[in-house]
Amino acid sequence: MNMRGQVHFDRIVKMHGNFSALKGIDFTIQPGEFFALLGPSGSGKSTTLRILAGLDMPTSGTVVIDGKDVTALDAKDRDVAMVFQSYALYPHMTVFENIAFPLEMAKVGKAEIEPAVREAARKVKIDHLLDRKPGQLSGGQQQRCALARAIVRKARLFLLDEPLSNLDAKLRLETRIELKKLQRSLGVTAVYVTHDQEEAMTLADRMAVFMEGQIQQIGRPSEVFAKPNSVDVAAFIGSPPMNLIEGRYADGHVEIEGHRLRTSHQIAGSRNVIVGIRPGAMRLEAGGLPATVDLVEDLGDTAVLDLTLGGATLRARVSDGPVPKEGQAVSVTARPEDIHLFDATTRKRL
Amino acid sequence: MIDKRFRIAAVIGISLVFLLAWVFPIVWSVMNSLKTEQDVLAYPPKFLFAPTLAAYRDVLFGSGSILPNLLSSFIISIGTTIVTMIMAVPAAYALARLRVPGKRFAGFYVLATQMLPPVGIIIPYFLILRNIGWMDTYQGIILIYLSFSLPFAIWLLVSYFEDIPFEMEEAAYIDGASRWKTLWRIIIPQVRGGIAVTVVFVFLNAWNEFLFAVVLSGNTVRPVTIAMFNFVSVEQTLWTKLAAVSVLAMLPVIVLGIVAQKHIVKGLTVGAVKGGGRR
Repeated sequence: MNMRGQVHFDRIVKMHGNFSALKGIDFTIQPGEFFALLGPSGSGKSTTLRILAGLDMPTSGTVVIDGKDVTALDAKDRDVAMVFQSYALYPHMTVFENIAFPLEMAKVGKAEIEPAVREAARKVKIDHLLDRKPGQLSGGQQQRCALARAIVRKARLFLLDEPLSNLDAKLRLETRIELKKLQRSLGVTAVYVTHDQEEAMTLADRMAVFMEGQIQQIGRPSEVFAKPNSVDVAAFIGSPPMNLIEGRYADGHVEIEGHRLRTSHQIAGSRNVIVGIRPGAMRLEAGGLPATVDLVEDLGDTAVLDLTLGGATLRARVSDGPVPKEGQAVSVTARPEDIHLFDATTRKRL
Repeated sequence: MIDKRFRIAAVIGISLVFLLAWVFPIVWSVMNSLKTEQDVLAYPPKFLFAPTLAAYRDVLFGSGSILPNLLSSFIISIGTTIVTMIMAVPAAYALARLRVPGKRFAGFYVLATQMLPPVGIIIPYFLILRNIGWMDTYQGIILIYLSFSLPFAIWLLVSYFEDIPFEMEEAAYIDGASRWKTLWRIIIPQVRGGIAVTVVFVFLNAWNEFLFAVVLSGNTVRPVTIAMFNFVSVEQTLWTKLAAVSVLAMLPVIVLGIVAQKHIVKGLTVGAVKGGGRR
């Protein structure tokens, strides 16, 4: 197994004047891992990637790649490859020349460049387009050309900055799968920036959730989904997002709008909480919270219901049984283990 | 219907008037350069005459040949163009890209130098050149020409450099290219059109320049724009020869204009539409 490509960020701070874009970022990426940096725009995920690439300098902190401090090293000396959101292909060069460029810069011999370029192009299925200029390619082909340019050099790190965001929905799904296969077959460490939680969930071995210049949570996608450690992460991960309602905990139960639901959490005393329930964990069963169906979004195999419960709005995803009509009164509940509790003031998981 | 036809006729009529005013000097020069001295002075002017190349033979190979002056003009224009471009390309790149303090002021200064009336600064230039002993030398004239060609070239080139997304440069760094290699391999090939336009303008400005040349040149360095006046004296004006020299002086300009036409039109509209102009 390729053991290159370990990354360690140690207390990275980035200031833009008085604004702190990154407020102390720490994480470690293991060799061969597919690591996603997930967060809303302006959360610092792209800045983190740029610092890792060597395109930006951190204000303080250390970046370590494969045990070596690279904080002051130029991008060109870091042996990392990157796919940009705009692809940044060189418009005056053919696809072949674009892919060959990193090899030329690394002073690879002419005889070795040709087969390497063809091999990289074949892997992303553009080996029939090598003589074209980027302007003559479709968006998807340009994206593949950018990928080929990044993989041709066999760099120790493969950085991707929202590489799928300029593709249409169908192509995005296809490319997502291919990207994952490609990364697996190359065994290279990949760091992937995205604001799309679904992309991060499906692609990443582990992910870091960014909010306002800080990492809120690091973990495997299933862990982060199952146990979001703050209200903000809970609201960001999952589609539709988790229902978050103010309530009160007492004695193994939560009280919402005057109604009680049993929870498996055991906390001493009683306190104000924010109750989180995923739409998919909501069940239409008698003996729960009385609600009214506002709107039904029928997606074919499932339906998403907008429910009104006192002053709160909840969403429920139902996949079996009869779908209630709009305006109908229903009773919703959730299994005790599906109820998440967050502190009402710190907004952290309880 | 009549209204529309009238409008079209009016547009064509007005265009013709302008075209005539534009073309007349060129036609006049070409015609007179092909006449004999007697035909030039004939009244009413002769439009049908036996053309002769005598005037061209005289000005090129006669006793007062202007060949050395044409050579002077070429040396000055090409020299100015080369030195200007060597300095303007990196300067424009720096102004477009780097976060240097005073960048905005530098940009304004570059433009402001274009607004000064040349007559206002010609005497100081004369004094400078005389004091360093560079009067009537190629290096002297090229140095003075740089003072207006360089700001102009920088100003023209900056917009081309600004048109190239910075991400492309970053991609090159990631691919292992140094800043110098990036400029040479990635940036400059993409601003080729802009460089071509700038070369043409700088060359033409130097070629056509008269005011500085008349003050700062002498008998050693005498560009063709000045040498034309050899044929104008107190006693007489040698019209056919003057016309022949004018045509010869216009020739490189016209040829260059035709060759670079495509680039020039693109160059003047660059930045008008985002993403337009390049490629």
